[in-house]
Amino acid sequence: MVGSYPKPPDEGEPFVLRKALHSLDRGEATRDDVEKAVEALTEQMITEQENAGIDIITDGHAGWPDLLRPFAETWAGFEVGGLLRWFDNNTYYRRPVCTGPVECRGPATVEAFRFASSVASHPVKAVIPGPVTFARLSVDEHYRDHEKFVMAIAPVLAQEVFELAAAGARYIQIDEPALLGAPEDVALAQRALGVVVAEAEPAEVTLATYFGDALRVGPEIFDLPADVVGLDLVSGPASIDLIEHAPRGAKIQAGIIDARNTKLEPVDDLVAMIDSIETAIDDADLRLSPSAGLEFLPREKARAKLHRLGEVAERVRT
Amino acid sequence: MGEVDLPGIGMWTTSVGSLPKPPYILAARSQRARGEIDGSELRDLERRATKEWIEFQSSIDTDLLVDGEQYRGDMVAFFAEEMPGLEIGGLVRSYGNRYYRKPIATGPVGRDHPLTVEWWQFAQSLTDRPVKGMLTGPYTICDWSFNEFYDNRRDLVLDLARAIRDEALDLERAGAKYIQIDEPAASTRMDELDLVIEAMGIVTEPLSVHTITHICYGDFHNAYPKMLDIPVDQIDLEFANSEYALLEAFERTPFDKYIGLGVVDVHSHVIEPVSEIADGIRRSLRYIPPERMFVDPDCGLKTRTVDEAKQMLTHIKQAVDQVRSEVAVALR
Repeated sequence: MVGSYPKPPDEGEPFVLRKALHSLDRGEATRDDVEKAVEALTEQMITEQENAGIDIITDGHAGWPDLLRPFAETWAGFEVGGLLRWFDNNTYYRRPVCTGPVECRGPATVEAFRFASSVASHPVKAVIPGPVTFARLSVDEHYRDHEKFVMAIAPVLAQEVFELAAAGARYIQIDEPALLGAPEDVALAQRALGVVVAEAEPAEVTLATYFGDALRVGPEIFDLPADVVGLDLVSGPASIDLIEHAPRGAKIQAGIIDARNTKLEPVDDLVAMIDSIETAIDDADLRLSPSAGLEFLPREKARAKLHRLGEVAERVRT
Repeated sequence: MGEVDLPGIGMWTTSVGSLPKPPYILAARSQRARGEIDGSELRDLERRATKEWIEFQSSIDTDLLVDGEQYRGDMVAFFAEEMPGLEIGGLVRSYGNRYYRKPIATGPVGRDHPLTVEWWQFAQSLTDRPVKGMLTGPYTICDWSFNEFYDNRRDLVLDLARAIRDEALDLERAGAKYIQIDEPAASTRMDELDLVIEAMGIVTEPLSVHTITHICYGDFHNAYPKMLDIPVDQIDLEFANSEYALLEAFERTPFDKYIGLGVVDVHSHVIEPVSEIADGIRRSLRYIPPERMFVDPDCGLKTRTVDEAKQMLTHIKQAVDQVRSEVAVALR
């Protein structure tokens, strides 16, 4: 899994979380009621991933309005600003606005990780935004210097990673989709990610990119401090060429199933795609995933995609 | 170029499109979904709500009215429900706790009957003031739908453009003097802005009325000034949500069309005071003359309550009146 899973239920089922949030808005429910709805949804999301045969799952981000908000709302130095489009999707997020020094005021996601792990039988991968992506998607009214801003976010993310690893996270994914549109930030990402990843021991770290091809970043992407590099081979089919330049021993999380369109990929097409990747890297170094978080699809379609992924993985293994 | 034939010195007030549905419509829509009432009962209530919104807009002297889209669930799904080749899909998230049904293109897309003309005629019959014809643009319908049929996005967009053109022509024949073709997705991918322009050209080329497009929540700084090539008379943009940041771009390349100036943030329960809205209009007047300015909320108001929307529109009108009187004094 890359990260998010659809929150809406199957057709005809009650949408408990949405109702709880509406009730909270109207003062008719408490934070606890919402929390219960988030936990119930997390359990469903985990069951569906496990039933599809996914080996490394996530909590599905049931409680997150977007990738940045849990952090922007927890850290000192940020306010939550206006709506902006989430990359090229018809999904919107609220831009964090940095108005003072960024400081950690406690972990943002550790409790949710602990809950997810307690109800899962498979390992849960913890997901956080990367420092470059966080900075690029925020408004900086305090540092007024991109590099300083990124390097101020990095240690706070490092603290989060430290707490996640301490809470038992064996897999931690750092999302840097914005890096694909900002290849000039690669050297900065190297330094900032170094700060974050240093605290991840003993977890395996995946650097995830999506919504585009990584060719503009170039083979340097494999030099970034991560154990696994995630590539979106649907939005960026050209990234397959990059895999051919991957250094020996590089591990790849290959996003082969379209997380943003309902059309279900034929098994044979996926197998052919995997074959073309496997000419460049060993099977053992390959992880198969959707191209991005699955929240862009209706629940039934996302589930069908995950089952297809499980099916294809099973076939290539045998 | 479609003329603007409205009274006064400009800074005309309008709305972007949707207005909130009163609770009785929300209840009736749920009842209809459960099969407890029939289509004609729901339609009667939608007509009542449309009438109430026309009356409200008239009561605050709005210059260019909208029908409020009481009969539309979602700006893309409404068209998808009626167009061959599109099916309504499941729920996906838009933002926060808001979700929409994302259509799926499953076959060749077209239009086999008018989709909005009857509602426009009904709304226009209730007032002497002009009511905008409201359409969703081809690029946005494509971008906000899944595609299981077309080999590429361009083919889908151009089929949609021909269908929306036919609808626009029907609105023009019915007497609409202002037709808005919303393209909120236009600022999504800079490498497809040419496709937005090409598709809009197909829609507006045969029209002689005043044409408008609404674009929001995207990458304006990269889309501007290229967006001026979109073949419409007016572009409606959100300014309040981005704290008027786009005005800086107008400094470098003058905005040479009519503008729809979005002056209230539609995603907040906090309603800007009249003085703040008036300040925004004054700042914008440095770049756009009053006779090329329409003033409205940042976006459709359907996510607000009826009371919030009425207050926002009233504040806008009061702010416009204040600035109009200042401009009138200055012109003397």
